[in-house]
Amino acid sequence: METIKGRNNIGVKADVKHKNRNIFTLKNIVITLLLVYFAVFLIYPIGMAFVGSFYNWNPLNGTFDFNGIKNYIDVLGDKLFWTSMSNTMIFSIIVIVCRILVGLLLALALFSKLARFKTAFRTIYYMPTITPLVAVSFVWVWLYNPQFGLINDLLGVDINWLKNKDTALGSVMFMTTWKDFGYATIIYLASLMSLPDDCFEAADIDGASGWNKFWYITWPLLKPTTILVAVTSLITYLQSYIQILVMTQGGPGTSTYTISYLIFDEAFVNYKFGTASAMSVILFIFISLLTLISFKLTKERS
Amino acid sequence: MMKKLLSSFLVLSMIFVLAACSGGDKSVSGLKKDDKPDKGMKVIGDHVKFDPNKLVNDGKPISIELWTWFGKEVFQKQADEYQKIYPNVKIKVVNQPWEDYWKKLPLQLKGKDGPAMFNVHNSYHSNIINFMAPYDIPVDALNQDYIGVQPHVIDNKVYYFDYGINTGMFYYNKDMWKEAGLTDADIPTTWDQFRQVAKKLTKRDADGKLVQAGFNLNGDGYKAMIAGLGYQKGELLFKEDGKTVNFDNPTTVENTQMLLDLYNKDKVGSPDFGDDSTKSFGNGQTAMVYKWGWMQGELKNNYPKIQWGVFRTPTPTNDVPFAYDRYNGESTPGINKNAAKEQQAVAQDFLKFMLAGNDFVKDFSFATGTFPAKKSLANDPDVLANPTNKIIAPNIERYIWPGAFPSAIETVSDKVFQDIFYNKVNIKDAIKSGQEQMEKDMSNSDFTSVESKYKFFSER
Repeated sequence: METIKGRNNIGVKADVKHKNRNIFTLKNIVITLLLVYFAVFLIYPIGMAFVGSFYNWNPLNGTFDFNGIKNYIDVLGDKLFWTSMSNTMIFSIIVIVCRILVGLLLALALFSKLARFKTAFRTIYYMPTITPLVAVSFVWVWLYNPQFGLINDLLGVDINWLKNKDTALGSVMFMTTWKDFGYATIIYLASLMSLPDDCFEAADIDGASGWNKFWYITWPLLKPTTILVAVTSLITYLQSYIQILVMTQGGPGTSTYTISYLIFDEAFVNYKFGTASAMSVILFIFISLLTLISFKLTKERS
Repeated sequence: MMKKLLSSFLVLSMIFVLAACSGGDKSVSGLKKDDKPDKGMKVIGDHVKFDPNKLVNDGKPISIELWTWFGKEVFQKQADEYQKIYPNVKIKVVNQPWEDYWKKLPLQLKGKDGPAMFNVHNSYHSNIINFMAPYDIPVDALNQDYIGVQPHVIDNKVYYFDYGINTGMFYYNKDMWKEAGLTDADIPTTWDQFRQVAKKLTKRDADGKLVQAGFNLNGDGYKAMIAGLGYQKGELLFKEDGKTVNFDNPTTVENTQMLLDLYNKDKVGSPDFGDDSTKSFGNGQTAMVYKWGWMQGELKNNYPKIQWGVFRTPTPTNDVPFAYDRYNGESTPGINKNAAKEQQAVAQDFLKFMLAGNDFVKDFSFATGTFPAKKSLANDPDVLANPTNKIIAPNIERYIWPGAFPSAIETVSDKVFQDIFYNKVNIKDAIKSGQEQMEKDMSNSDFTSVESKYKFFSER
C-alpha cells in the first residue's frame, strides 16, 4: 500500500509541477501583462476620474472633499466650456471632412494607371503621419510666424495667423489635416486595391464614364472605409490638445480652446481636478454616444 | 525553447520596468566614512550660524537630492563646498523644467521617495506647504540676519522665506539708444517722457513697415506690468477683505489704455511684431522691454552680444508714488517632511550652511537679478555694482509685496491682454470678464493679501 501511496504522491507532485510550469506560458504572461496594463493605466484612471468628478479635488495638496454634483453644475454653466465644445466640434468636423477628401483624392490618384513612382509618393504622403505631433506643431509655428514665416512669404501677405482670432483655429486645422491625411490615403488605397474587378468590367462594357464609375461603384463600395476613417478621426479629434498647447495655448484670448485643452488647463494650471474630471466624464459620454451612433449607422448600412 | 526564452525575456522586462519605476538615486557608493568631528574650521554666520566641527549622520555615508528648476550651478557650487567638509555626504542637484516641476514635485513629496530639499516658488505655496518641515533655525536669528522674514512666519515657525527681492524694470538696448541720439540724460522718469523716447527708438522701412520696435510688451509684458502699475496710483491689487482680486477698476482700465495707446497711437510697437518680447529684445529687434530681474541672466546666457542697460519703471509724474511697483521674493529651499529623518537632518544642516554664509545668497541674487535680503550684503560693493540692484537699491522701501498670490492672476491677465490687443475686445469688457475669471479660478484659494503691511500703506 505504502508503495502505491508513494507512487501516487510522486504522480500528484509531478502533475502539480506540470501545472505550475504551465501557468508561466507565454500566453498567460502576455494576457496578465495586458490585464495589469489596462487595469492600471485605463480602468483605474477612468474610475478615479468618475469618482473625483463629485469632489473638490486637488491631489497635489491632498484636498478631496465631497461636493455632490456642484462640479457638473459649474461646468454646464461655464461659458468657456461651451466655447470649447463648439471649437472642438468645428475643429473635428472640418478636419475629418478635409482628411477624407484629401485622402480619397490622393488615393484615387495613386491608384490610377497613369500614376508613376507610386511607392515614393505613398512614403512621402505617409511621412507626416508618423512624425511626432509636437515636432510638427513647432515647425508650423515657425511657418506661420508673421515676421519670418514661409507662409506669409509664399502668399505675399502680412497675417499673424496664430494670433488672429479669425485665422488661428483654421491654421491649426490646416496643420492637422496636413499631418493626418496620409493615414486616410493609405487606408483608402488598400480599400481601392481590394474592390472587385467584375463591377468595373461590367461598367466598362455598359460604357460608363469615369465619373459614373466613381459615383455609382467606387464611392458606395468605399463607404465602410469612409465610416472607419470618420469614426477613428472623430475619436482622435474630439481629444485634440497637443497642437493647441504648442501652437496657440488656447489663444488669442480663449478663441482656440478645445475641450481637452480646457481639461488640461483646469487640472494642471488651476489645480481643479474635480472640475476637470467632470468635464472628462461629459466628454467620455459624448464620445461614447457618437461612437455608438456611428456603429449603429454602419450596421444598418451593411 | 523559443517560447521559454520569450517568457523569460518578458518576465525580466517586467522586473526592469518595475525597478525603473522605483525611487530616485540614493546611492552612497564612493562615499567615505567620516570619523573626524573637528574640521579645524571657524563657525560661520552672524545670528544664523553654521558650525562645521561635527559629524553629519554620525559620519556614515548618506545621499540626498535637491530639486530645482533654475540655478543648478549655484546650488551645485554650495553642494560641492559642503561635500568637501563632509566626505560622507552626497547632495545630488536635480534640474527639472519649470513646466514639469510643479506637477512632479508635489506628487513626489506625498511619497517617501521625494527629494529631501527643493527650490520653492511662493506662488505654489498652497500646493507644497503641507509637505514641508519647519526650519531648524530660530526665527529670531533669521529675523536678525534677513529682512522680510516675518510675513513668512507660520505659528512661530519658518518653512521658507525670501532671500532676495525681485521686481520689474525697463531694459534698453544701448546701441539703439546711442544711434537714436539719446544719452543718459534722456532716461525717462515719467510715462510721458517714456512715450517720447519710445518714438525716437522706433524705426520703419520705406513702406512704413515696422523694423525696430521702440517698446514691446508682447508675450509676458502686459501680465507682468499690469499687476504692479496700479500701485503707482495707490490702487491695491486686492479688495478690503484681502482675498478678492481688485482687477476691474478705473485704474486698470486707464493703465491698459495707456499701454494700448503706445501701440495704436504712438505706433512704437505692434502686437504682430516680435510676438515674444524677450526674444525680440535679445535678437536686436526691440529697443525697450519691461522685465523682471531674471532677464539679466537670460541676456547673459542667451544673448551675450546685446549691450543693455536698465532704468526704473516710469511713473505718472515726478512725485514719489504710493509704490513704484510690486515686488516678489525669490524663496529659500524647502525641506521635505516625508523624507527619512536622517536625510532631513542633512538637509537642515546644509540649509544652515547656505544661509549662514554670504556666498549662496550673493551668487543666487546675481543669477536671478534679485536684491539680496541678507542684511550683511546691503552695502556689498559687488551687489551695489550689479545693474539691476543699482536701480532697486535707492527706492527699495517703495516697492510693495501683495503676498504670494496664485498664478491665476497672471494667467488670466495674459488672456485679457490677448483679448484687447489681438481680438480687439473693448478694454472695459475684457477687464470685467478678467475679474470674473480670476474670482472663479481663485475660488479654492486660501490666499490673503499682505498689502496692509506695506510701510507706506497709510498714504493711500
